[in-house]
Amino acid sequence: MSQPFHIVVCGSIVPDPLQMLEPVTGAAGPALKNEMMLPAVLDPWAAHALFEAAHLAAKHAGSKVWLVSLGPKAKLQQVMLTVAQKVPFELVALDGPASGFCDSLATAQVLADAVAGIPALNRDRLLLFGGWESASRGAGSTMQIVAERLGISEQFQGVDQLTVREDGSMEILERVEGGRHLVSVCSAPPAAFGWATGHLPEPRNNPQVGMTNMKTIMPALQRAKASAVAADGLRFAAVNVPKLQRQTRVVKDMPPEEIARELVAWIREK
Amino acid sequence: MEKILFLVHTDGGPLSKGALQALGAASGLGGELVVGLAGVSTQAAADSIATCGAARFLAVDGEAFAQPRYATDAAAAEALCRVSEATVVIAPSTSRWARALPGVAARLHGAVDTHVTSLGADLSATRWFYRQRMEGTLTRTQRPWMLLLEADCAAAWNGAAGSATAEQVPMAAVPTRTTVQGLQDSKTDEQTIRPEANLLFVAGAGWTKKQADGAIHTDQAEQLILGFLRASQASLGGSKSLVDLSGEGQAVLRCMSHLNQVGQTGSTPRHPKGLSTCCHGEEPHVVGWRFINDRRAVNMDANCGWARGKADVVYVADAFAVMAIVNRMLGG
Amino acid sequence: MSEALEIDIACIGFGPATAGFLYTLNRAMQADAELAAAAPMVVCYERADDIAFGVSGMVTRARGIRASIPDLDPASIPMAARVASERVVYLKDPFGASRRSAALKMADLAIHNDLLAAELPYIPPFLHKSDGFVLSMGQFLQFVGGEIMGGGMLQIWPACAVTEALIEDGGVCGVRLGGQGMDVRARLVVVGDGPVGAVGRQLDTVFGMPEGHHYREWAVGMKMVVDLADGVDLEPGTVIHTFGFPEPEIFGFLYAHPDRVVTAGIFVPSWMRSPVRTSYRYLQHFIQHPYLWRYLQGGRLRAWGAKSLQESGQRGEPKLVGNGYARIGEGSGSTNVLTGSGVDEAWTTGTQLAEGVIELLREGAPFTRENLDRAYVSRRRASWVEEEGRVAAKSRDGFHHGVLPGLLGMALSGLTAGRVSMPGEPQPLMDLHSYYRERIPAAEIDRIVSECGRRGAPCHDALMDHCGWPPIAYDGQLLVSHQDALLMGGKVQGAAGYEDHVSFRDASRCAACSARVCIEICSGQAITPAPSGVPAFDREKCVHCGACLWNCTNVSFQAAPGGLHSTEN
Repeated sequence: MSQPFHIVVCGSIVPDPLQMLEPVTGAAGPALKNEMMLPAVLDPWAAHALFEAAHLAAKHAGSKVWLVSLGPKAKLQQVMLTVAQKVPFELVALDGPASGFCDSLATAQVLADAVAGIPALNRDRLLLFGGWESASRGAGSTMQIVAERLGISEQFQGVDQLTVREDGSMEILERVEGGRHLVSVCSAPPAAFGWATGHLPEPRNNPQVGMTNMKTIMPALQRAKASAVAADGLRFAAVNVPKLQRQTRVVKDMPPEEIARELVAWIREK
Repeated sequence: MEKILFLVHTDGGPLSKGALQALGAASGLGGELVVGLAGVSTQAAADSIATCGAARFLAVDGEAFAQPRYATDAAAAEALCRVSEATVVIAPSTSRWARALPGVAARLHGAVDTHVTSLGADLSATRWFYRQRMEGTLTRTQRPWMLLLEADCAAAWNGAAGSATAEQVPMAAVPTRTTVQGLQDSKTDEQTIRPEANLLFVAGAGWTKKQADGAIHTDQAEQLILGFLRASQASLGGSKSLVDLSGEGQAVLRCMSHLNQVGQTGSTPRHPKGLSTCCHGEEPHVVGWRFINDRRAVNMDANCGWARGKADVVYVADAFAVMAIVNRMLGG
Repeated sequence: MSEALEIDIACIGFGPATAGFLYTLNRAMQADAELAAAAPMVVCYERADDIAFGVSGMVTRARGIRASIPDLDPASIPMAARVASERVVYLKDPFGASRRSAALKMADLAIHNDLLAAELPYIPPFLHKSDGFVLSMGQFLQFVGGEIMGGGMLQIWPACAVTEALIEDGGVCGVRLGGQGMDVRARLVVVGDGPVGAVGRQLDTVFGMPEGHHYREWAVGMKMVVDLADGVDLEPGTVIHTFGFPEPEIFGFLYAHPDRVVTAGIFVPSWMRSPVRTSYRYLQHFIQHPYLWRYLQGGRLRAWGAKSLQESGQRGEPKLVGNGYARIGEGSGSTNVLTGSGVDEAWTTGTQLAEGVIELLREGAPFTRENLDRAYVSRRRASWVEEEGRVAAKSRDGFHHGVLPGLLGMALSGLTAGRVSMPGEPQPLMDLHSYYRERIPAAEIDRIVSECGRRGAPCHDALMDHCGWPPIAYDGQLLVSHQDALLMGGKVQGAAGYEDHVSFRDASRCAACSARVCIEICSGQAITPAPSGVPAFDREKCVHCGACLWNCTNVSFQAAPGGLHSTEN
């Protein structure tokens, strides 16, 4: 008999990946130029985690999914209306920065407090989900710190698969060097999982799910708490877009045979 | 003066290239160097770097530390940090340390930075933000400060071996509910990820699009790609859009999985050469190329953003035609 | 089919009209506890993935918008500025490549300045927008959308395409959503899906157009938002309107936003009879005209997009209401074709419907045709939108005879309040051979068509090259290939797993078609020649502009999510 899980996904918004990003430095440190004007999406890494959470919850009756999201409220509001149509979850919205330059320790503290404050959360059945990386911060450290703050010592990063076994234990596949997976078994929750891409495609929009989610999402956005994220002693000397301009030789009108010959010679060069 | 702890795992064999690079970076910082080792038996590893100039060698030995596991890795690192009283901790960015050290930083009320690509003599760190799309240089006053150094970003330490006296750091049993089962290779039929390959072959979404005859030729595309990988022993990378399709059971390249994904939402492989085919696009895909030295592309659009400043050579041609001949030539 | 959802009001499309509707409704619900207590469930379904994916620019007098938001402060909306100056400029053709009448060739000869342009000394009052704003449609909608959703009572769902209205007993009783094929039943369906909206077209087919009304005039608008190069300053609020180049029939514009950002674009109208209607290539030549290039050179493409415009104005007005539905915005014929203003008019029709709906909600009256007629249509008929639309109705008919008669006709209508106009009837597009008879030998045209067909490419570039249009000197940042514009500027994405939303009904008609205007006009190179004769469609390149629809009845264009272009107006 499977037991229900309480799955909390931490995930925020990032600029749409097709946007061109440019840094600017202000009084409060580096930021993205026109950050509030850039279209935003749910961080693709966190999105994988959310979809995996919903998938897992659906297989274990009585399970529940929360999404804890720290970002500018106006932007969260827009993105959540799309995300809400994907899978069932309850939103915990925190009104604060979603910048990639925010320090992971400070961010993690705000997230951990929010998770700890979720009423009715059964910490013994808690699976803490998040992105292994992020399309903004890419800190690769936030989730571990959130889990530490919540006292979770079973942690997994780069997770591609989580299988609950008959006895309630969980088999986890983590990405490691060389394109391989590390296989571990965790006997029981609580545990924390930083998801890589998993195996699930992005679910298609489902208005029925959207209608149900909206009942909790709208009030959650209304009461989103202003959250300051400040790092002590962190100073940026410079932030730049790397200059990678190359002198490109464009080869037109060369027959495929000749291109192939050039390529083969190039491949064989040491 | 900073007290610098260089952290390394050992399986009893020689230290990895990445570990020696991190040691090279740590020993170049000019503080008091301490080496911290964890593994079943660490003495051989300590001896191999005995002349690195470390003031102390600290070790956590035991079966529990042989396997990669958060609870035991974090406990070992925490103990080594506490005993060494380190203010700065340098470790190679392995999957183990990347998983464990952020939590250790939290336990010690310190700070952590990952994806570090260079360390300045003034103890400034340069690292990537926004998935390799920006780089920032920063300093911190908070200590201990843990820094995970990316591979191939510093010269490896290459001193002589010797005899090191490692102090064992006492460890209580670490409670954990996790047992490690072992490593598993990719489930795809053929090996397509070869981190040590000389060449990264990037398959763009164009392989699955309608071609000039108005039809889609994924079977042919797959044969060409796999044929090339076999003949060239290249590693395979793909864009997110291409890999996403494979998750949906559409007419796609079965040889691709999410593990092949490079770029903003995938891995950032490092290879001496890269060949991109049927690719079109800029930022999101190009970030996957950031650490490829020599880049060529086969693309149908001469004015594509690719043709401008991102690759060394762009061949304006049909990749289906070109790769068929390349495969034949390589096979011969 | 799963069980239908039940809501009170379903809105289709989040553009300026629906924004005006929801904004007005939200304000009323916030202020009126009784109305709020009744809490009608209102959901707006928007096809695009975001309510503000575009950052495109527009200029508007914003009379209706300011009536709704009296304290509208441009400083609170990114990219907004008060209009600072207006210019109307005639652009000479520097290459002699355009198709010009003798009169325009004479005009060109008279222009000798370095900028190859003549600024008109006088702007007729009906054209001026000096009391208005330069806005970004995307940012404005984001601002309004934020306020609407912030109230917590109304919902806007992006990435949710309505494919059709549910029709029962001669009225509309709900909508069908794409993808999941889910039905949503609603007491009122607010149709604001623009000039090529799937539901608007469906209702026109089912219920018919009012006597004498039609959509015969249209245009494709394409624009880019540009970050100006360092050292180039243009006063925010500068508005430039152009005509004469790249083709005499193509109108152009440049609006300056704050922070050295501009929007530049063109309108390619239906009365330009060329079958080679590539807005993208023309746009590239337009921005390089010396009069504009002095500002734009060295700039960087920030956003790009296209949409089609319903240019029949009031004569394109469909049946505005019926049992269970009401139509607002551009698709309801609100655009003023004389003043070239559509956003403010669309917004205003939305507010008029909202006022009517509030009245009916308070009365507890059902949304019948009679009640909507009384509560909404009568408000619209009594408003400035209607009055000015009447003045404008025939103002552009002269363009069917040519550019100069067209301009004269506009002046006549504008200066006589619509009492006098230049008559004219739309002419069909010319075929390639007729259009290029004097420029390209017939055999060469055939060779180009065949060669492009073999490569799966449109013919417009080859034909324009032949006529003396210079090649584009791609610089990788502003002058970029069409495909790069889709990626860099358009951010076009087609979500995986959906069907092609553009298809061709009768393959034999495609095979027999020589004009292939759908290919030449496509704003995203999403429609290309294919060996079978039926064009190939690539949904990941479609920007949902709907241009392929206007000149061909064989194109089936369904509503679909993606494209990111609902706000690229």
